[in-house]
Amino acid sequence: MAIDKDSAVQNAQKDLARRLNIDAADVKQKSVEDSDFPDMALGAAEDGEMSGQMITRGWRIKLEAQGKTYEYRADKNQVRAFNFKGKNHRV
Amino acid sequence: MNRNNFFIHLALALVLVLVAAFAGQLSRWRKQWKSHIGVVPATEKKRATTVEEISISEARRLGRPEVLVRFKSGVSQETIERLTAQRNDRVEDRIENVSGLEAIDDLDNADATTVASEYSQLAEVEYAEPNFEIELDTAEGPLVPVLPHDPQFTDQWALANSGQRGGKQGADISATLAWATTTGSEEVVVAVLDSGVDYTHEDLIKNMWMRPARMAPYHDEELGTIDDEHGFNAIDSAADPMDENGHGTHCAGIIGAEGENDIGIAGVNWKVRIMPLKFMNAGGFGTTKDAIEAINYVIDRKKAGVNVRIISASWGSTQRSRALGDVIRKAYENDILFVAAAGNSSTNNDRNPHFPSSYDVPNVISVAALDRNDELAKFSNYGVKSVAIAAPGVDILSTWLGDAYEEKSGTSMATPVVSGVAALVLAEHPRMSVDDLKKKLLASTDPIVALKGKIATGGRINAAKALEN
Repeated sequence: MAIDKDSAVQNAQKDLARRLNIDAADVKQKSVEDSDFPDMALGAAEDGEMSGQMITRGWRIKLEAQGKTYEYRADKNQVRAFNFKGKNHRV
Repeated sequence: MNRNNFFIHLALALVLVLVAAFAGQLSRWRKQWKSHIGVVPATEKKRATTVEEISISEARRLGRPEVLVRFKSGVSQETIERLTAQRNDRVEDRIENVSGLEAIDDLDNADATTVASEYSQLAEVEYAEPNFEIELDTAEGPLVPVLPHDPQFTDQWALANSGQRGGKQGADISATLAWATTTGSEEVVVAVLDSGVDYTHEDLIKNMWMRPARMAPYHDEELGTIDDEHGFNAIDSAADPMDENGHGTHCAGIIGAEGENDIGIAGVNWKVRIMPLKFMNAGGFGTTKDAIEAINYVIDRKKAGVNVRIISASWGSTQRSRALGDVIRKAYENDILFVAAAGNSSTNNDRNPHFPSSYDVPNVISVAALDRNDELAKFSNYGVKSVAIAAPGVDILSTWLGDAYEEKSGTSMATPVVSGVAALVLAEHPRMSVDDLKKKLLASTDPIVALKGKIATGGRINAAKALEN
């Protein structure tokens, strides 16, 4: 089922709360922007993952928690944590 | 007028009529003689030879009609004149012996292919084609462009760039000239290693590979026996390689959407066999291990007698896998070319390699993307040591899921252009080795200023050059 922008943001907030072991209410939405990503893994491939090299339209989601900014990337197919503690993760 | 003057004038008129008739017959004889020799569109693109360039200027100076349009039976002359006037065109001549056939002059001197295509799409029109100029086809003479009637062909700037949508005329792969030599062959199989392919797409279905009835289903020691009637699915070996994303279907259409079928677009090959391999899921990503499984499948099928000579790989990442490199080398040992996307991070692959395109394996060709103005696409990776060649990769129209068509951008789209040209070469030279094929492709480019010092060849692939002996 296709993911829309709102559900992508919600999924990202829940994922960040889980990773930081904090309450989801403590994760604030900083910005959500339409963005073109370089590939179909949204420029956030996990280890061992290959993706189609097609420019992909999606959303760049910036969240704030514990005084830090975290980036998520999403499109209609997926949500990914970008460079979270040096690694990318598919949510 | 007295009686003597009347006869003198009558005699003169008769002589003039006879001279005109004789001249007309001479002209017809001349045309008939030349029609056995070759045809060249009156207005062809910039890459045309000097002879053609002269033809263009002459055609415009002389106001030669650009297109021949046959209107459907029952369409009135008033309607024809209204339709042409709406386009700032003029009916130059009516071909009396073929009802509804009109020679039309475009007063704006637009590209003949574009004008013909516009008329083709009118409900009142049976067909429309550029007005071919007869030229002597000597051994050194110009190539003969071939134009398909596929209705969206005029949007395929990568194949014939007439300057549409602000592009640069001639910034294309010279496909129409290549098609004078070959439009492809059903004997050549291209593996599209991707998200699968919608093998039921109406513009692809006739060009899809299917396991021959005489060939046993694929057997793998770990996976068991797999019904690979339509290809191979490395994600779920029990399922077929139907595309759930669209990316693989798009790449397949660039290589081999059926040409001249009056549907959608034309592929670089009008005829070919596309073998769908699925290792990327509905999201357009997959694992290295599944890519390896799929390449292994291709090698096995090659060994079993399938003439699969090219793997088109519009995917990648910055992570190096030795195992993936090894299986690509194994493909090389089995005479299979591996065409790979250079990547879309606007970075230099010499410094930050992108795989599989950066593997130093002899069968790998790394492909960068160009836009419709012959500029390196702003997203395209490059690398004078690691990226070999460039091809159109921005706003590329091709097949999509559900009999649809979409424009997409990426080195993903440039890669199947090169794979498609490789397939054309193999159609013409079936026994060419993978080494010679790669050499041939890399020697068949048009130098592009924007690529100088950016990629190894410094050029855009030229399909017509690739087919020259």
